[in-house]
Amino acid sequence: MISDVATPAASEVWYSCGPVGLSLVYDDPVLQQALHGLLSQYDAPWPENKINIRVIVSSKQPPVSQPPGAGTYLSLTRLKADRRGSRLVSCGNLGTFMEYDMAAAEARMTVPENPDWPLLVEEVEHHFIMLLARAWGQAGWTPLHGGTLIAPGSSRCVILCAPSGVGKTTLTAAMLRRGWRTLGDDKTLLQKEGNQVIGRSLAHRFHLHPNSSRWFPEAGDITKWPTYSRWTDKRVVRIEKLWPGCLAERAIPGAVVQLLRDENGPALAIQPLSREATLNTLLLQVAIPSDAEHARPLFSCIASLAANIRGAVFKIGNEAFADPTTAERIETEFKKLLS
Amino acid sequence: MIDNVAWIGTNWTYFRVCESSNMNKLSSDTNRWLLRPDVVATIVNDGAVILDLRTKFFFSANSTGWAIAQMFETGATRAEVHAASSKWGAVNGDAVTIDAVIDQLIAEKLVEATTGTGAGMSAVTVAAWTLPTLNKHKEPLQRIMTSAFDPGLPLAE
Repeated sequence: MISDVATPAASEVWYSCGPVGLSLVYDDPVLQQALHGLLSQYDAPWPENKINIRVIVSSKQPPVSQPPGAGTYLSLTRLKADRRGSRLVSCGNLGTFMEYDMAAAEARMTVPENPDWPLLVEEVEHHFIMLLARAWGQAGWTPLHGGTLIAPGSSRCVILCAPSGVGKTTLTAAMLRRGWRTLGDDKTLLQKEGNQVIGRSLAHRFHLHPNSSRWFPEAGDITKWPTYSRWTDKRVVRIEKLWPGCLAERAIPGAVVQLLRDENGPALAIQPLSREATLNTLLLQVAIPSDAEHARPLFSCIASLAANIRGAVFKIGNEAFADPTTAERIETEFKKLLS
Repeated sequence: MIDNVAWIGTNWTYFRVCESSNMNKLSSDTNRWLLRPDVVATIVNDGAVILDLRTKFFFSANSTGWAIAQMFETGATRAEVHAASSKWGAVNGDAVTIDAVIDQLIAEKLVEATTGTGAGMSAVTVAAWTLPTLNKHKEPLQRIMTSAFDPGLPLAE
């Protein structure tokens, strides 16, 4: 059990994050407000929270004296995580610390003062993402950093894989205008269900770049939506406000597309992916920890998916969507992949 | 090694050299090898994918390559793998390929020498024998990630 270190004045808030519920106890309302953007984004409806975790976030307590993290579980640019029995311990570069007792479903986080407040908040966000990723795994789901596009009149979807900034959201928006639906633009949970893998929606808010208005005028002035991060101009957009009926809760992946941006190439170039490259593409979008017990189900889910779907590389040129026929060609190729 | 004998020419000579090479390996390698605990595998279609969590490289094995790797889950010697392979349908000429798979498992440090005894090896079965393969994928997974949800580094916008 993790001892309760919150002050008597602490406030408690609750978030539903897909199959995981978080009950958060804060002693700092400013930090609580700062983290609301991250924790409220997992807004897709779920039938139940299979796991409920109580998290105590202390920023007015003295920092816990801990040995530096070694990153034997996960090594992130901002923090290092190690597993100690039933506990997952993560230490951030700025001295933030989280201990998640997986057996007791309790976590404790300490946040020391730091003059760079935005950087401090981002580091705390990474602790929460780590906590959630593990909790989703405990609930039987594999978090995939990828978007999805569901063919009209079908339950089968294409998974879009690409690093942030390549254009998953823009491509998704281009297809939503053509009647496709989506589970989300970059966050999907996967689970093996019998002989197939299914995908479920986690977040219904998109991170859309204001430039998208040039190609999708019905989106209006995207700069009116709230900002997402200090590192990008993207805005947090409630996508159904722009394209009503475009959201879905569940789909069956039938293809994976590795999206690349080709600055000097044609609007669209397509190459098939080998089975090996399909697996690689999917695995590169999943944070697989170095702990065998925790890695095994994630790896198994992705390998099973890769074995049963087609893959292709789509290279998208600059200003590709200025030409309406690009989206039409992409739609035709997506349908071929899903057939 | 095939490269060393290719110039000799005849199949008869080739197999004699292979058998000789194999005998050398069997006599020189008496270690019992065990799959490292931080190597995980998952069965896919007629084979398996193996992921080394230390190096983040992963490998695809066909059904017989996977059967060989499975023997090392409980510990096995090179001789025991050859004996099992014979039961599964391997012939003398397959020994070089079987050794190549074992050599690769050792070279990639997916297995490590152990002092224990083998157990449960009989549980490994092969429906139809084919030459075993173990292919290392070119690109490893990320060792350092951006976040626990988005492993990749974002591109500059």
